[in-house]
Amino acid sequence: MSPTRHAKFGQLGMAGTVSTFALVLMLAAPSRADPWDERITDRSSDGLKLSGALSPSELAALTNLGEHLFVGKFTKLDGAGRPMATQAIIPTKRRRPARSSIARLPGPDASACSSCHNEPVIGGAGDTTANVFVSEGFTNANFDTTDPQFSNERNTNHLMGAGLVELLAREMTVDLTSLRSKALKNARETNEPVKVDLITKGIGFGHITAHADGTVDLDGIEGVDSDLQIRPFSQKGVFTSLRQFTVNAMNHHHGMQANERFGPRWTGEADFDEDGVTDELLDEEIAALVAWQATLPAPTQAKPENVQWLSMSAEGQATYVDIGCATCHVPALPLDSTIFSDPGPLDMAGTLRADEAEALSYDLAMFDWVKRLPRNKDGALMIPLFSDLKRHQISDQRTAHFGNELLAQRFVERDQFQTTELWGLASTAPYGHRGDLTTLDEAIRAHGGKAAHASQAYASLSEAQRDSLIAFLKTLVIEK
Amino acid sequence: MWRVLSAASAVSVFATGLSVATEPSKSLADIPSLVEQAAEAGVQHSYTGPWEYYVGGGGAAFDCNGDRFPDMALAGGAGPSQVFVNQGSAGGSLKFEAKTGALPASALKQVTGFYPLDFNNDGHQDLIALRIGENLLLEGNGECAFKKANRNYAFDGGSEWTTAFSATFEAGEVHPTLAFGNYVDRSAPGSPWGTCHDNYLFRPGKGESASFDKPQVLSPGYCALSLTFTDWSRSGRADLRITNDRQYYRGGQEQMWRMEPGRPARGFRRGDGWQRVLIWGMGISEADLDGDGFPEYALTSMGDTKLQTLDSDDDPLRPTYRDIAFEKGATAHRPYTGEELKPSTGWHAEFADFNNDGRVDLYIAKGNVEAMPDFAAFDPDNLLLMQADGQFVESGDKAGLAIPTRGRGALVTDFNMDGMLDLAVVNRGGPTTLFQNTGARYEGRTRPMGNWLGIELRQKGGNRDAIGATISIKTGNHVQTRKKQIGGGHASDHLGFEHIGLGVAERATVRVKWPDGTWSHQYRVFANNFVVIERQAKSARYWYPTRSK
Repeated sequence: MSPTRHAKFGQLGMAGTVSTFALVLMLAAPSRADPWDERITDRSSDGLKLSGALSPSELAALTNLGEHLFVGKFTKLDGAGRPMATQAIIPTKRRRPARSSIARLPGPDASACSSCHNEPVIGGAGDTTANVFVSEGFTNANFDTTDPQFSNERNTNHLMGAGLVELLAREMTVDLTSLRSKALKNARETNEPVKVDLITKGIGFGHITAHADGTVDLDGIEGVDSDLQIRPFSQKGVFTSLRQFTVNAMNHHHGMQANERFGPRWTGEADFDEDGVTDELLDEEIAALVAWQATLPAPTQAKPENVQWLSMSAEGQATYVDIGCATCHVPALPLDSTIFSDPGPLDMAGTLRADEAEALSYDLAMFDWVKRLPRNKDGALMIPLFSDLKRHQISDQRTAHFGNELLAQRFVERDQFQTTELWGLASTAPYGHRGDLTTLDEAIRAHGGKAAHASQAYASLSEAQRDSLIAFLKTLVIEK
Repeated sequence: MWRVLSAASAVSVFATGLSVATEPSKSLADIPSLVEQAAEAGVQHSYTGPWEYYVGGGGAAFDCNGDRFPDMALAGGAGPSQVFVNQGSAGGSLKFEAKTGALPASALKQVTGFYPLDFNNDGHQDLIALRIGENLLLEGNGECAFKKANRNYAFDGGSEWTTAFSATFEAGEVHPTLAFGNYVDRSAPGSPWGTCHDNYLFRPGKGESASFDKPQVLSPGYCALSLTFTDWSRSGRADLRITNDRQYYRGGQEQMWRMEPGRPARGFRRGDGWQRVLIWGMGISEADLDGDGFPEYALTSMGDTKLQTLDSDDDPLRPTYRDIAFEKGATAHRPYTGEELKPSTGWHAEFADFNNDGRVDLYIAKGNVEAMPDFAAFDPDNLLLMQADGQFVESGDKAGLAIPTRGRGALVTDFNMDGMLDLAVVNRGGPTTLFQNTGARYEGRTRPMGNWLGIELRQKGGNRDAIGATISIKTGNHVQTRKKQIGGGHASDHLGFEHIGLGVAERATVRVKWPDGTWSHQYRVFANNFVVIERQAKSARYWYPTRSK
């Protein structure tokens, strides 16, 4: 079989013009015509036609394909590998061909998403063996050392409840940008500078000052990008959406290049990575991957059968609040709408945007695991992610462990990270962004910078109190 | 080898006589949808008049009332000049209102073009009016009203047929240096043949206020139709490049004058490396297409457009240029549509990223001089879209530019502040056209294009708009540069936000080389924002194009 077999999909148009996502989603069911076929992507049938709001059965079909693509081990016939492209999120050519189709450090470093995201379930986190080495991929893209001057070593995050996380971030972004708009309007009307605190869902992101001339002074913002967009994914909080994350990761880890960023429209080439395969990932296949991730059940708080554990965890939960953990690891954030749309409203060019295709939408409230989540007095769903989706400085001279990276990622300083979501914590050891802390006790004590007060308070607790706190954290599980 | 789908454009070029019958290349990059809506937007304007107004016909896009939305001053030739105040809203339809009484009586007639420039450093945009007759320095009051200020600055506007302008701030100067290019001296014996007028260079003097009382005559003049101060050698010194119309000169050529501080300008000669090029020069635009730090120049003409790149690695550099228009598919030598197989007549040229893909495109205004039978009568404007491989692909027809007008000057700017470049074209003998960029054409509709930035530079004291600054925009390994310039084009220019397409990059690192050569620190900005960079500011501000009403 030729590695260029995607060219046979003439019914989808020539390379670079495939865009069936525009109005109708054409999906092939994840079934192979031939059992011996060595491909994961399968476009051999007419597939399903999906558009607009999806019914549960339609969503199931979509997520079925998504799971198939998530667990499938991509082959060279699919387009795995990127001999002439780097891992960069902006399509970037290598200077010379890669020496091998896989490369543990700069990638492609995995055949399947699930080869790292698999603990305790597919879509979960990864052990240190699943660490990845994050480099922007522009210079020294082909590094062959773990020396931190070339990459940041990162443990694999879990993706459970990711759809709810993205929805929270979208609503928070709307809140923050609305505050900005109101401040600008006020400044224009009063002809005076207007300072406004950036608060959404009870989380403060500093302040901005809007001026009458329409400019905004951004020096006072905290823990959010200057465009006031909450980017909830990755340990740094730098990815806007599951869609953007998926397109990035598919290229980085598998050398599977999505048309929506690596196709001819932006690169001028149908086969940007020059592996002989075009149309490696279509818009609808990314949509399937997004849907599967977005509908992964959220982690839960277990109710231990062990009476002592139950008692300790209750005490520990109170201590968690008392010593200040909850200041950043906010137990729950309110979500107004459970309708997930893809493409989402906030992505930029290079990730399919809402204006480029009719969005698919699905109501996450159709799932029992969502129905079980509590609501606040205003009727908002309380999402127990134990995070504020804000970045903080978490290391300092005295407590430097979390400042163990040399490279800033995107525009985020090396000692800043987005507050880790603690839901699922008990199922996702080891800890820390590098996965180099084996116990929760170590992880708590490693907090410095803006979290120093909490870790110091933890250290000053009695051993029994510390045990209680950890007993509480051990109830935050991903259900198998 | 990369397998690139955008085949190099292979079309005939008159200069070589080569004729190859091929299908024109199709742009893989987004083709912007440019929708003409001058009438709907309230822009009713024409550039008219007899022979003297066959050339000229330009305008200025600039913010004359401090709201950062681009307004327009348009030359009317024998007809009236007009100022159009932008009344539109961000992302909305284009909307302008002609302002009565905006210009003094002397600026209403016989105007061939306008250039924006805050020449008095008061923070309000001023205008330079090019005329057949006295040129004018017009001080703006910040409310889109202008008054003649020649006397305040000891500026003798002359009586020539002025068709070109550029301004720069020379090293250490608070006030600008002005260059005026003139066309035919109609009073000379034998006019118009071989009777090109000299050009003039006005340096500002050393006083607290500019004093232009000692102009230098740049002689010989060869019927200039565009000139621009340009730092061609990356030395920090802007020399004066002039494109001339061979229709009327005798023994003339393209020119460039060395602008050493404190010394009279001196023309580059063959011994300096300057090569004799004879074209019907109409317009100049520059951009660093290959990222080597040295600008390439588009020079419009009758027939082939020239695209010149520096062809010297001497030390010191010599201004020796090689034409790459053919190899880049940018000759634009005849109409790309219609039945006529006659050469085009090019006027305004401007490099700009119309589709936000991170690569500069080339717009050329086209139009028969009046009724020259040897040149195309239907001569639509060009939109040459740069592809990923650096080739240009003609897309004017698909973009919506293939209409029967006689283009002259043009204004390429984002009138409705939606992050996409719009286009106003001053046409000879017909209505000014105004194209709104509504996004990428796609399957019978439009869709959003690439990411973008608008960047405004501010500095205190003189040269508030940082004319002469270089903006470096880095996304990944890709570095784009923009120069803040006033001049070039055809009797037209814009001042305000510099527009940069970012393609799929969602953020960029911006550095500024201020006019005095000082580099700024890095400013980190996110895409799809208007950014204001104040010199020495710790961080950039974003500007949001909302209106209070």
